[in-house]
Amino acid sequence: MYNHQDIISLLAANVRATKSPFGIPKPLVNTWWKGQGLGREGDVLLMTGLMYQLVPYIETVTRQLERFEDTRFMPYLAWARFVPKLLSGLGLAALTPAPAKDKAALHLRDIVAALRASGVSFGYRPELDEYSGILLYDLGDQESFVRHARLVAERLAQAGVRRIITVDPHTTYALKVLYPRYVGAQFEVRTYFEALDMGTGGGAVASPDAGGARLTLHDPCFYGRYLELSDLPRRLLGGLGHQCADVRECGAYTSCCGGPAEAVSPRLSARIGAGRAGQLAATGEQLVTMCPICLSNLEKAGANVLDLSAILARGLPRREPDQAAGPGQ
Amino acid sequence: MAQVNPDFMETLRQAGTDTGAECNNCGTCVAICPLAEGHFPRLMLRYAQLGAQELILDQAQELWRCLHCGLCTQTCPRGANPGEVILALKRFVVASWRRS
Repeated sequence: MYNHQDIISLLAANVRATKSPFGIPKPLVNTWWKGQGLGREGDVLLMTGLMYQLVPYIETVTRQLERFEDTRFMPYLAWARFVPKLLSGLGLAALTPAPAKDKAALHLRDIVAALRASGVSFGYRPELDEYSGILLYDLGDQESFVRHARLVAERLAQAGVRRIITVDPHTTYALKVLYPRYVGAQFEVRTYFEALDMGTGGGAVASPDAGGARLTLHDPCFYGRYLELSDLPRRLLGGLGHQCADVRECGAYTSCCGGPAEAVSPRLSARIGAGRAGQLAATGEQLVTMCPICLSNLEKAGANVLDLSAILARGLPRREPDQAAGPGQ
Repeated sequence: MAQVNPDFMETLRQAGTDTGAECNNCGTCVAICPLAEGHFPRLMLRYAQLGAQELILDQAQELWRCLHCGLCTQTCPRGANPGEVILALKRFVVASWRRS
């Protein structure tokens, strides 16, 4: 297990200097939107919080941390914060395989396809799409979290943003619960599947090729427990003709994928992930989740998991970009 | 010998929670915690109740094993909110370390 001070110092210094926990320049991380014909204006702003985009880099970092955990080299991590951020960020970007980055982008494009299919009007402004700072909050670095959250919230407020669609549970919890509580920023925040549910009037219309699969959902902790958003994905999937076969540990009693521990102990994270993958495997059905961290950690544990967005994007009838999103970029 | 600080719960309240005092040490949180090792998080809650700051700081690394998954909070029969107490203790430790 790594020293928490070393990890927190490094992440906080990165966020302070670059607004990203890994110091990678945003133009390298956030490219998924190019060629999507996304409008900048809309009733609501789509905000990814960069979580899906950061996962390939998190996987790269975790692989390196895993190699040195509890070895004599581990204490040298303390020196990492003295490496210039741009240099370490570019190095990390170079070490991260392109297919992993493409895969992360695919999930976000599926989310956009599903939103368009359900007629939800939204805009996307890459310059406003920032990391929420949630990892700093989870690690207990309240001072750094509040500083970063204030910065992100102020930029959104200055741009006149009032309503936000989010795509992952961590950013959703940050914007919906933590930002109002700690920096007084009030936005109307909905997850993409809440927006889809509203867009389809609570009853999704399946495309003709939507299938009646049996699926087992892994509820991310923030959705299942903290935000109590377990029913909606099941209702949407049910509307598309799928059946959900739940394990006992679901909804408000879901079990963690282990992801949050990977910064301080990849070994612990892997152990928790393997346990959760074992619980989910009991149904023998296709696994589905809706969090990039859970997706990555369960896959690492050997589970075959789909992102909810892939099923929704395939299940809802396709619409052309200009039918939902306005002028393209 | 560890010293106790009867005002520690007030410090913890400033760090975000004061529900730890409700804990009656039943161990449900230990049984449900995915870490499934030792007496985490119950032991830390007991230290917090006693105000055993030195022990908390000495064993601080343990706090960062917590995934903040919230399962202990969901199942706590006393509403002691162990997950948030652990998070508040992390904040206390980080603040102490920054001060020093």
